[in-house]
Amino acid sequence: MSLPTRPLTLTINGRRHGPIDVPEGMMMIDVLHEMLDLTGSRLGCGQGICHACVVIWDRDDQTSEEVPTCITGADFFNGKRIRTIEGAAQTNDKGEVIALSAVQQAFLDRFSFQCGYCTPGFVNAATVLLERLKRAPVPRAELEATITAALENHICRCTGYVRYYQAVRDVILATPGLTRENA
Amino acid sequence: MTVRRPAALLIAAAAVGVIAIAAVIASSFLSEQTVAPAQAADAQPDVVARGKYLAEAADCAACHSAPGGAPFAGGLPMQSGFGMIYATNITPDPDDGIGRWSAEDFWHALHDGVRRDGRQLYPAMPYTSYRGITRADADALYTYVMQLRPMKVANRRTELNFPFNIRLGMLGWNLLFLHDSLPAVSIGNSPAWRRGRYLVDVLGHCGECHTPRGMLGQMELSRTFAGSALSRVAAPDITPAALTSRGWTVAGLRAFLGRGLAPQGSAFGDMHPVVVLSTGSLTEDDLNAAVTYLLGDRPPAIVPVSTNNPANIGAAANGAGRITYLALCAGCHGLDGNGVPNTVVAMRSNSTLRLVDPRNLLVTMLDGIVPENFPYRESMQKMPGFADKLSDNDAATLANYLRVTWGGQNDDVTPAMVRALR
Repeated sequence: MSLPTRPLTLTINGRRHGPIDVPEGMMMIDVLHEMLDLTGSRLGCGQGICHACVVIWDRDDQTSEEVPTCITGADFFNGKRIRTIEGAAQTNDKGEVIALSAVQQAFLDRFSFQCGYCTPGFVNAATVLLERLKRAPVPRAELEATITAALENHICRCTGYVRYYQAVRDVILATPGLTRENA
Repeated sequence: MTVRRPAALLIAAAAVGVIAIAAVIASSFLSEQTVAPAQAADAQPDVVARGKYLAEAADCAACHSAPGGAPFAGGLPMQSGFGMIYATNITPDPDDGIGRWSAEDFWHALHDGVRRDGRQLYPAMPYTSYRGITRADADALYTYVMQLRPMKVANRRTELNFPFNIRLGMLGWNLLFLHDSLPAVSIGNSPAWRRGRYLVDVLGHCGECHTPRGMLGQMELSRTFAGSALSRVAAPDITPAALTSRGWTVAGLRAFLGRGLAPQGSAFGDMHPVVVLSTGSLTEDDLNAAVTYLLGDRPPAIVPVSTNNPANIGAAANGAGRITYLALCAGCHGLDGNGVPNTVVAMRSNSTLRLVDPRNLLVTMLDGIVPENFPYRESMQKMPGFADKLSDNDAATLANYLRVTWGGQNDDVTPAMVRALR
C-alpha cells in the first residue's frame, strides 16, 4: 500500500528543505519528527490547544506568529519560512550549541520548567513576543498584561506559569528598547 | 400654501398641548402606580418547581441576565434595527425589579406586552410568542420569579431612535402584528405534536429568531421558521422540509436540543446558550414533543446528500479548496471529514455545509468558535478562526470544497461573499 503524496518545499531555521514527498494529510509535527529529524517540537494534545508543538512562521511582511503543528497540515507550510526550537540557540558548524538564546537562558536561570514538555512552545512564544516588542515597544505599565496575552495559550502542568512569565519579563526589561516609559 | 401654513402650525400646537396634558395626567397616574406595595407570591414548592421548569423552557434567563451578571437581574444589550434595548431586571426587588408587580401585571406583560405602569413593551420581549402561555403557566412563572433573590440592579434605558422611542406607537404595532396564535410549521394533531407546538412556538419562542422579520421588526408569519440573520451567525431555516433536507433526523434533533451535540453539528453562536439554558433542561417527553412538532407527526423522509453533480465533486476533490482543507482543517476534522468524537464535529454529516446560504460556514471559518461546555459534562474545544490565514479566494474555494463534497451544494461561493463577512 502506498499513500498518495504531495511535494513540500520550505525553509526551516534558515535552511531550505525539499521538495520532499509528504503523505497527503500529514500534519506538520509528523513531518518534522519523522521526515526531517527535527524532534524538538512536542506533540501534546494533538488538538491545537496546549501549544507545545508551535513553530514560528516568519511572514513576508517581517512579522512572525506561532502556528500549532499538530493540527496544521504540511501543505500550509509549502513555500513558507519557519523556525523550530532547534533554531533558537546558536550552533557551530557541527551543529553543537554554543550559546543559548536569552529566552532559553532565562528559563534555565528561573527554573521555569520541570518536565520540560511545554518548553519548546514557550521558547517560541517568548521569542515571537520579544521580536514584536523590538518592532513596537509597549508602555512599561502594560508589560505584564502583554506577556500574559502572549503566553496564555500555552499550557504548563508543572510550574504554574509564574516562573515562565517572570523569566520573560526579566529578558524584556534587560533588553533595551522593548518597553517605553509612557503610554 | 401660505394660507395653509398657519393652520398647520395651529394644529401642531394643539397636538403638542394635548400630548402635554396627556403626559401630565399619565405621569400622575404612573407615579401613583409606582408606590404599589411589594408583592409576595405564595411560594408552594411544587408551583415553584413548575415555574422554574417553565422559565427554563421559555429561556427567560438568556436575555434577562447580563454576561457575568446575576440571573434574571437584566442588562443584556440587544441591538435591534431601531436602536439598543436592554433586558430588564425581573427579580422581585421592589424598586429595580418587578417586586411590586401582581400576578395580573405579570400576565399582562406576557400576554399583551404591557408593563405594570401601563406602558408598552417592545417586542424584543417576545410577548408575540408568549401570548400563547396559559394563565396557569404564567402564574407558576410568576410564583417562581417572585421567590428569586431580589437584586438591586438598576435597569438601563432603551436607546431607540425616533419615532421608535415612543412606546405608544406599539399600540398600532400590536394591532397589526400581535396574534393569538402562530401558524403551525408542521402537520400533526397528536398530543405530543400539540404539546410540542406549545413548547416550540410559545415557550421556546423559536420563531423570534428563526422567522424572518419585516420592515417594522415583525415576524413574517407567512415565512415562519424560514430562517433569519439577526446576528452574525444566522438562525437557519428550521421548517420540516429544510431540516430534513439538511439531514436532521428525529434522533439528531433530540440530541441537538437535549445535549447540544448531534451528528449534524453542535449548537454554536446564539443557539449554544439556548441549549444550555433552555432546551437541555426539557424532560424526555417534552424533547420528544418539541421534535414531533418541528418535523410533524409524520416526518418527511431524510434527504441524503446530493451526489447528482459528480463533475463538481471531481473538481473539488482535486482543487485548491481541498489543499486548504488538508492544510488547515483536516488536523481536527479529519481527512475523511469524520471529526473526533466528543471533541470536534464531523464535516461529513454537518448541517451547516448543507445550508444553501454559505453565511454560517464562512462566518465559522473566519471567526472560529469559542470553547463551550454542554449538558452532560460534554465540552467542545475552541475552533480557531482563520481570518488571518485565509485570503478571500482561499476561503471561497475552501467553502466550495466543503459544500460540494459533504453538503450537496454547488460551488457558488465567491470571494466577494467572503469579503462581505469580514
